[in-house]
Amino acid sequence: MNLRLEKGMKTHKKRKISSLLPTGFKVIALIFSLAMIMFSSALAQDVAVGQATATVQTPLTVTATAALAFGTVFQGVPKSVAVNSANAGVFTITGQAGTGISVYLQLPDYMSTSSGDDRMVIAFSSTDCSIDTTGIVDPTGAIVGWVGTNPYSLPATVTVSGAGASSAIFLGGSVNPSVDQAAGAYTADIILTVAYNGT
Amino acid sequence: MKMFTSLEIPASRNKTWRGFFIILVLLALPLVDVLAGVLVAPSVVILSDKNRTGRLNLQNPSNTPKEVGISFSFGIPESDSLGNVNIHLQDSAVTDPRSALGWIKAFPRKLIIPANGSQIVRFVANPPKNLTDGEYWARIVVESQEGATSIPMATKGDKITTKLNMIMRTAVMIKYRTGDLVAALKLNDAQAKKKDSLINVLVDLSNEGNVSYIGLLKCRLVDADGKEISKNKIQLAVYHDLKRSMTLPLKEGNYKKPYKVEVTITNKGRKDIPVDEMVFGNDISYTMTLNN
Repeated sequence: MNLRLEKGMKTHKKRKISSLLPTGFKVIALIFSLAMIMFSSALAQDVAVGQATATVQTPLTVTATAALAFGTVFQGVPKSVAVNSANAGVFTITGQAGTGISVYLQLPDYMSTSSGDDRMVIAFSSTDCSIDTTGIVDPTGAIVGWVGTNPYSLPATVTVSGAGASSAIFLGGSVNPSVDQAAGAYTADIILTVAYNGT
Repeated sequence: MKMFTSLEIPASRNKTWRGFFIILVLLALPLVDVLAGVLVAPSVVILSDKNRTGRLNLQNPSNTPKEVGISFSFGIPESDSLGNVNIHLQDSAVTDPRSALGWIKAFPRKLIIPANGSQIVRFVANPPKNLTDGEYWARIVVESQEGATSIPMATKGDKITTKLNMIMRTAVMIKYRTGDLVAALKLNDAQAKKKDSLINVLVDLSNEGNVSYIGLLKCRLVDADGKEISKNKIQLAVYHDLKRSMTLPLKEGNYKKPYKVEVTITNKGRKDIPVDEMVFGNDISYTMTLNN
């Protein structure tokens, strides 16, 4: 009898402790345990390497955040996208903070149909580019850097220095469809080349 | 949404849930897709006569595949008379005797990096025989765009639709080193001129070694008592001749004239390049006194 009673009491105690823990706590405990397993695994790899030194290098990243978008255009009606409009093209550059970079845009003169049968003039004025060096990626925002600069001759003193060590290049432009421009889909390439000039 | 309101959850449980979400957010942070470009590292690839192979790590942190092409160009920092630096990439007709264009190969040259994936690109140098000691240069050009380029479709028969493909190129320096390496820099001239509330510093440098001089240009504006008014520093890479400009703000304060500009050039202290990849050379120190 006594033995049976002790067994029953122990079982009861176990159930009580378990039921006292809130479900959220159990989930946290599970996630924490998994995180610790992953962390300990990473530590184990470090220990296996032994003494090592490493230089932390920030990779250079060029991102086309938004394409220059003219949308649908009509025959004989030129259409422009301002550099400070929401439809402006945006490139962001991220890298080692404070590093000088050289940037160069290759811009098309025409947009072509996929078959190459027809083409449409695209133009960029000497004020169709802006460069922000404070981490702003919104072309409609308050840009700090170069506003209304020449996209064919970008400044030589651009640095990667903004928030998160990033700079952004904004691009406007205009298309000039002729009155007899063939209907269809027109494409062209805009190429941004970026290089560190301090390595 | 309702289950998270404090009205339905007791205070103790509310705290538990708050903690749970904080942990969840912390655990999920590394998974956030911050950038959508292709990450290229390191910033310079070094090959040598002892190790003719090198590698470049490309990462695609976005949720779409990226089409990547690898090519080579030649381009070193060059400056105008005002000290503005540009890199002009040349694919052909390179006359610089230090060009490594044409004898460094990449494997693979075209690839598609899957979403959130990475790829190693390897480089092998096959230099010509009897290469003189020193360093030879080229640029690895990593070109990327979205994996699937969609061509716009005209919605109606008489409409014109447009699409501009935004293509990104990252030009990373690759260097091949052979024989005895010497890093030596000469300061030809230095000028400091006051313009409004800025001091413009211009240094004229010549590379007298057989490797590129990679270092730091530091300038310090001090008053007659040596009290610091302002300072600035930039990374420096001198391949042949180079002029570099720098501005120092002339801050308001109780400073005694005449002011001086201290120029220091060193190739120690570059944190972005591993020490074993540096070729150390001479340091330069120069002080100029401002006339007004």
